Amino acid sequence: MRRHLGWILPLLTLPVLGLLGYGLTRDTFTLPSPLVGNEAPPFALETFRGDTLSLTDLRGRVVVINFWASWCGPCRVEHPGLRNIERLYDSEEVVLLGIPYLDRRADSERFMTAFGGDWMQLVDPSNRTAIDYGVYGPPETFFIDQNGTVVRKRIGAMRWDAARATIDSLLAESPVAESRDQDADLSAAAVDDS
Amino acid sequence: MKNWSLSSRRSALLVFGLLWAVATPAWGQELDSTSVDAAAAEIASQLRCPVCRNQSVLESSAELAREMHRLIREKLAAGESPEAITEYFVAKYGEWILLKPEPSGINLLVYLLPLAVVVLAGAVLQGRIRSWVRTGTASRKETFTMVREASQATDSVLTAENEQPGSPTGVPARLSAENERWLEEALRE
Repeated sequence: MRRHLGWILPLLTLPVLGLLGYGLTRDTFTLPSPLVGNEAPPFALETFRGDTLSLTDLRGRVVVINFWASWCGPCRVEHPGLRNIERLYDSEEVVLLGIPYLDRRADSERFMTAFGGDWMQLVDPSNRTAIDYGVYGPPETFFIDQNGTVVRKRIGAMRWDAARATIDSLLAESPVAESRDQDADLSAAAVDDS
Repeated sequence: MKNWSLSSRRSALLVFGLLWAVATPAWGQELDSTSVDAAAAEIASQLRCPVCRNQSVLESSAELAREMHRLIREKLAAGESPEAITEYFVAKYGEWILLKPEPSGINLLVYLLPLAVVVLAGAVLQGRIRSWVRTGTASRKETFTMVREASQATDSVLTAENEQPGSPTGVPARLSAENERWLEEALRE
């Protein structure tokens, strides 16, 4: 038995080390989602202002959907990044939507008043849209391209630079990308300074 | 009296018929609702609660799990099959949502690995047992050889003593024939 240990131990240890190495090199904020690469689940939800917004009406624009909650700590951490998205991008090209998740509407509204931001907040009755998007826990952010396809799902407090890289790569596919990129760089510098 | 009895029997039959007609749909609905609940519970027991630790949607009291359970019930009531409902959740959350993964692809490892470990452990155990038996036999043989040598030594001393004049009689000069045979057999083993 002892003479076999020489090859049995490495045989058992190597796959474990391999898995460990693979896991350590993954981006832990990007979660594999079956939705990525598929059409975003459609919805028509009431906004906090009282009108109805349908996802299909936003075709041709990059859509960033952020599931969040007022009770969620990481949501506060990523909030400045979301404000940057709102300030930096033209709403005709990039639409930022917030969908409070397992949260009281009054609390969500208080949060937005306290931390700022004027992007659309949608009411998700019974969290059906969250289930439709396979949400585990807030914050989770979905990036949807101009064709209505989910291109990325990020979990946890979203890093502003990563969000910006994703949005820019999606906008780069549009024909007016070049002129806008120049404006974006200037605006980004302004946002970073502030 | 006979006429009254007949008419009363007819009335009773009529009332029973009417009651049956009214009650049957309600009973049918009750059955449907019960079977929907049972099917919903069955599906919910196979789905992992996304916000819990190793709890099914059925077991969990989390708000999201309760909502998922309600959604399952609604989908069943709308005529969707249990397979389609499970596929819906897999399409949203991935196979992770299934408490018992499908035995295909990389998931096969989950099913085959324990079997492989059992087989490997069995083989190792068999090897060890053989080795123990071999060691045990060897040490037994060694013991028997020592006993035999000792008995032969005693035998020679006793024989020498017996041959001396005036020595006591009745002392066994050798191991009994039965002991001899037992020793022989043990050594052959």
